[in-house]
Amino acid sequence: MKASVLIDCGTSYAKIHYLKDSKRDIISSRHFIKNLDQYDIVASTGHNKFHNTETKINELVALAEGGLEVIKDNDFTILDCGARDVKYIKVENRKVTGMDWNTECGAFTGQVIELLTGYFDIDPGNLPETDEKIPVVCGVLGMTQMFDLISQGITHEEAFARFLRGIAFNCETLVGRPEKLYLSGGLCENKAFVKSFSCDTIPLGRFLLLDGLIRFTKSSGIYFQGI
Amino acid sequence: MIVGIVGVPPWDVMKSYIEKGTEIIDLDEPHDNIPVRDIYLPNAYCSILKRVVSNIFSLREQGRLDCVLATVGKCKCDGMRNISSWLKRTTDIEIIEFENSNMNGHGYPISTSGLPLVKKMELITDSVFSPLPENINIEYEPPVCGFWGVPPFDFKILDLFPDRTHIYGWARCMENKTPADIELECSIDPDVPTLFFTQSFCQKSSFAFNLARQHGGLYVEVDKKLSHSTKAKIEAFLEFNVYRRREKT
Repeated sequence: MKASVLIDCGTSYAKIHYLKDSKRDIISSRHFIKNLDQYDIVASTGHNKFHNTETKINELVALAEGGLEVIKDNDFTILDCGARDVKYIKVENRKVTGMDWNTECGAFTGQVIELLTGYFDIDPGNLPETDEKIPVVCGVLGMTQMFDLISQGITHEEAFARFLRGIAFNCETLVGRPEKLYLSGGLCENKAFVKSFSCDTIPLGRFLLLDGLIRFTKSSGIYFQGI
Repeated sequence: MIVGIVGVPPWDVMKSYIEKGTEIIDLDEPHDNIPVRDIYLPNAYCSILKRVVSNIFSLREQGRLDCVLATVGKCKCDGMRNISSWLKRTTDIEIIEFENSNMNGHGYPISTSGLPLVKKMELITDSVFSPLPENINIEYEPPVCGFWGVPPFDFKILDLFPDRTHIYGWARCMENKTPADIELECSIDPDVPTLFFTQSFCQKSSFAFNLARQHGGLYVEVDKKLSHSTKAKIEAFLEFNVYRRREKT
């Protein structure tokens, strides 16, 4: 029997909400897509939305709805740092007043950070504190500078920490440098990345878009057993 | 004689060719069976100018282009000025350069009509070398949304917008036959949620970027085809700023 699910299927990972018991899971998107016949997808968001789904909403709408569901502040900014891109929503007086999506160069976020930590065999929770950053105008140029630093005798850990600070600096520029920033998405769980921000950061985990999907379906009058 | 045009040559020049019955080809636009070849310009370059240059060489090879009327002043962009200079110095293609500094506006009723946005943009690009069809309704409709920018490389982006989307920016200047009118190009309606569109690597991106910041609009740059993420970003912008706003009124 197929499992009825709500799905946030990103580039790398699929976040699943099972309607039967409200349990949640994260599996690789590749694995999820290969086994689609096991699921009855009731509503979806994320990079990989599914055409036969009854309800589909785009990621920014899901992010805003999720933020409004979980955050009680009147004004707030959430940045979603995914495998492939970063996007944000700014809310003032509980209304969405700003948004953007770093659609291309954000490619140098989750995937590359995950690849580099593996490549360097670095523990992301154990990087040196640094105020220095590499200007990551473009991910490729940023990586070139990081490898140049290593060739000049800077440790791999220090160079990588500067690279992360460069990405975090860009993220803060994208969102307009708020004093407090809510974070969602896979990079929430990367301590080194979260520590690279200069503002107060509050990680909200990886299921915020699913929370938004549920809020959206409820507010649209769509009822699913299990929500 | 077959004449190719780039940008918006002066109307009196265009009229003289139209009256002679000259075949005119818009080199900024796509043409059937002529794919864009990227070999003539660097990768990181405006895709519309890549298309212009590719069209010139392909049409020449097919014997379907005798000369090019190239706008190279404030009315177009620095890119075309440089390309025109390169073509003149290194090929036998006849290039006639123009600086269209006309400031005598013809009006822009298409831009402010209620027609579908794609239809508006097609009529504007056609209006560079042909009069408006007579059977078309171009009455003013108040805007719910704005599209600022040049005619995009890929018109599919325009399908995302509601019909009462007004056109601003250089496309409006094209319709007004004042392509060098920077004041008109930078004019916006402060109360209209507006998307500021630019082709990647276009010099006009500085306008788009700063107008979007000043106006609180959405800055979007696209190279060739619209990506999934950019499409979703635009859909979310419309959802929050147009559709939900409309539900409340």
